[in-house]
Amino acid sequence: MKLSFCRGLLAVLLLAGVARAADLPELFKERVKSVVAVEFFTETELDRRPTVTCAFVADAAGTLVLPPDAVSGRVQPSQLKDFRVYIPGKPVGDFAHAVYLGQDALSGWHFVRVEEKFRSQLTPVTAFAAGAGPAEPAMGSSVWGIGLRRKDEDFVPYLLSGDVSHIESFPERAAIALAEVAAPGLPVFDRDGGLAGIAIGGFGSTFMQFSRTERGSRVMLMNVEESRVFYLTHEVLPWLGRVPSSVDGRPIPWLGAYGLQPMDPDVAAFLKLDNQSGCVVSEVLENSPAQAAGMKDRDIIVAVGGQPVPRLKPDRVAVGYVEREIGRRKPGDKLTLTVLRGSERVELTVTLADEPKLQREADRKYFDRLGLTVREFVYGDGVVRRAKLAEHRGVIAHFVKNNSPVGTAGLRTDDWILEVDGTEVKTYAEAVAKLAVIEADTGRAEFVLLISRNNETAVLRVKLK
Amino acid sequence: MTRNILVILVLFTCVPAFAPNARAAMSRGFNRLLDAVVRIDVREETFEAGARRFTGSIGSGVILSDDGLVLTNAHVASPRAVELSVTLASLERVNATLVGWDHWTDLALLRLDLAEVKRRGLKFTHAEFADSDKLYPGQTAYAVGTPYGLTRTVTRGVISNDRRYFADNRGVNGYETGLFNTWLQTDAAINPGNSGGPLVDEDGHVMGINSRGYLGAENLGFAIPANIARRIVAGLAHDGSITRSYIGIVPGSLLDLEGFYSLKQNTGLLVNSVDPGSPAAKAGLRGGDIVLTINGTPVDGRFPEQLPPIQNLIASLPVGSTVKLAVKRGEQTIPFAITTEKLESRQGEEWAFEKWGLTVRKVSRAYARENQLADDTGLLVIGVQPGFPAAVAGLERGDIITKVDQQAITSLDVAKKLHAAFAARPVPTLVEAQSDRQVSLYILKP
Repeated sequence: MKLSFCRGLLAVLLLAGVARAADLPELFKERVKSVVAVEFFTETELDRRPTVTCAFVADAAGTLVLPPDAVSGRVQPSQLKDFRVYIPGKPVGDFAHAVYLGQDALSGWHFVRVEEKFRSQLTPVTAFAAGAGPAEPAMGSSVWGIGLRRKDEDFVPYLLSGDVSHIESFPERAAIALAEVAAPGLPVFDRDGGLAGIAIGGFGSTFMQFSRTERGSRVMLMNVEESRVFYLTHEVLPWLGRVPSSVDGRPIPWLGAYGLQPMDPDVAAFLKLDNQSGCVVSEVLENSPAQAAGMKDRDIIVAVGGQPVPRLKPDRVAVGYVEREIGRRKPGDKLTLTVLRGSERVELTVTLADEPKLQREADRKYFDRLGLTVREFVYGDGVVRRAKLAEHRGVIAHFVKNNSPVGTAGLRTDDWILEVDGTEVKTYAEAVAKLAVIEADTGRAEFVLLISRNNETAVLRVKLK
Repeated sequence: MTRNILVILVLFTCVPAFAPNARAAMSRGFNRLLDAVVRIDVREETFEAGARRFTGSIGSGVILSDDGLVLTNAHVASPRAVELSVTLASLERVNATLVGWDHWTDLALLRLDLAEVKRRGLKFTHAEFADSDKLYPGQTAYAVGTPYGLTRTVTRGVISNDRRYFADNRGVNGYETGLFNTWLQTDAAINPGNSGGPLVDEDGHVMGINSRGYLGAENLGFAIPANIARRIVAGLAHDGSITRSYIGIVPGSLLDLEGFYSLKQNTGLLVNSVDPGSPAAKAGLRGGDIVLTINGTPVDGRFPEQLPPIQNLIASLPVGSTVKLAVKRGEQTIPFAITTEKLESRQGEEWAFEKWGLTVRKVSRAYARENQLADDTGLLVIGVQPGFPAAVAGLERGDIITKVDQQAITSLDVAKKLHAAFAARPVPTLVEAQSDRQVSLYILKP
């Protein structure tokens, strides 16, 4: 009796499977409207570099979401030019313009808004998420998604599909499929066409490489065009509303605990953290909310907002958990952190702040004749150079042109310029003013920079003639 | 036909013209020198593999005195040596001990086991130094030594340059070298194994101690000048080590920056960098300053070759003494009084903790400064043995162990005690280590 019941269920499932497989071209046709290709140009001192990436449609207002790695963290939003949106499969001559809206710090997503023209042809992914609850796809269930060919093939969309093999917390709940299911950044659907999640990049597989000279060495390969891993719908839906209100992505919640490091279960057990984990704070940054709350170097964060840091796999994910707990709050929010200091548990109440000016927000100016771009010295520059706030001064060589006067003199990217012509430059404005005078003075034969690199200074003589 | 004969004759008669030189090479002095050159077989400890291991190498040396002092390179015989075996010119072997070493000049001094020499009735001669300040480029030079283990090999060349600047912060097995001396450059063939052997003139006087060559280059060899060696030998024989003073300035050559700094011709030493936390930094010296005088003596550091003697001027001062600098900064000339510290290598002492499968090097003050560490607490991991507790816990080469069992590792002895406790009673032990400023915890499990 029981057996036959099971059989009946199986038969129904199979029938359903067959029926839906037949629907797939129809489902695909509808869902491909939630997917576009985006091209933009990064304008640097010397050239314009194109980037092509995939994006999905977030809402009816033409908001598009680009994956986190679409734009480098060094690039200033003002350098991003000429966003173009292409409909997959349509001739690339027909594109719509778009504007960059900024990056969300929590999801890492870049938001772009496409002009009116194309909006009617697009369908937000939310249209396929109606009634999506916290239910997670079952092991072995089929999921599918869309990949896009290259620009010279009109970004023709194609089907990818695979079965769910494993679900894990990264700390976002994510499914790993047995085959590539979508291009990174594009939606993944279940067999009914419901939104299952958004594919993410950055996962590699290990292979052995054999060649005439190598007897077999391990190499890690990463498919950058197609992904097997996707964040589940209930994790990503709340992020869709996180469109930055300004292009700089502000406000960005900030704790100021530098170098969070995970611990393995042996360490957790030794510290009597049963069934949970913690993160070691390598350094507490100067003038940060963490410092104000009394956090100390080497404190171990064991709970955030009263919730113990869970044991996640791999250990590294615990750091992501803590960072996410901070990231989903706002500057000004109060947060309790429980830290282990020696054998003592200490409760800290932190008031999160807005993160100090980032590298990508720093002012910068290019001097063509001298051959460099100088950038304002920001908080993070002090952190990486271990300079105390009181020592913050000068500017950073953000870009050095090959074979230029400063390049020939030995200046390198990321050198810290402390003095120009033997006098200290205290501020960015001072440095720019000094360099502008030198740049304009065609009679000048040389000038001198004092720079700091790897904690050592050097005097560089720049020949202009 | 007759013409051809004439040519041959002329060539023939030419030969006697070279003969005096050839004979000079066989002078009594040269023969005597040959009897003073030795081969040195070294067995030394290494700590790279997560355990104490032993390796062997071969170098050369020259006997300097009747009481059996042998001069060689610091990269041949270092305090890591556990066995030093000297092969005399007579091919007899005799043991030796390390008297002292000085990696800054790449010199080490050994002493033959005189009791053994006497018991076995072994004979040797000793060499004499030449005045290396009187050498000139083009002067004939002979390198004598044990290239690739080929004992008593003589090669010939000339002094290619008598004042070569060559500094290397890791040049002697990871230790600094060349900051306080210039080098003799020679094209006499120098190969691995020649190290520590003498570079001599036609009378067998030691012009320098062969030390290094450019690998892959044709006959670019370097030797420590005799006059430097003579001074170091005296110091090592007397104290077993050379003590130098340190203030922490890194000079750069001024080249044609004189105009920019509006200096008089041939004056000044450019301070390229000041070591953070060093006496000079504490006194307020900065990169870009120009040192005009040191204790009243004007200095001229226009060219790299001029820097070692100036560095040596400071290094030769007694530790803890005050050095007075006149420093030009912009339009001003500012007097500085800096109290010197003892010069230390960035390379700390190495050790193996066998039960942990871990080899370490003590973080030195110089290493801590260079890497912007808060202080010299800690041990740098230089090796882990697979399958042993340190490797299993996840410690890696390059990590700096700062705490073990909640105790700050301020010295190697602290760690040795903790390791001994672990060996006696193995229990899980908490280790705090940092790698590139990231602090992590590890458990060493028995």
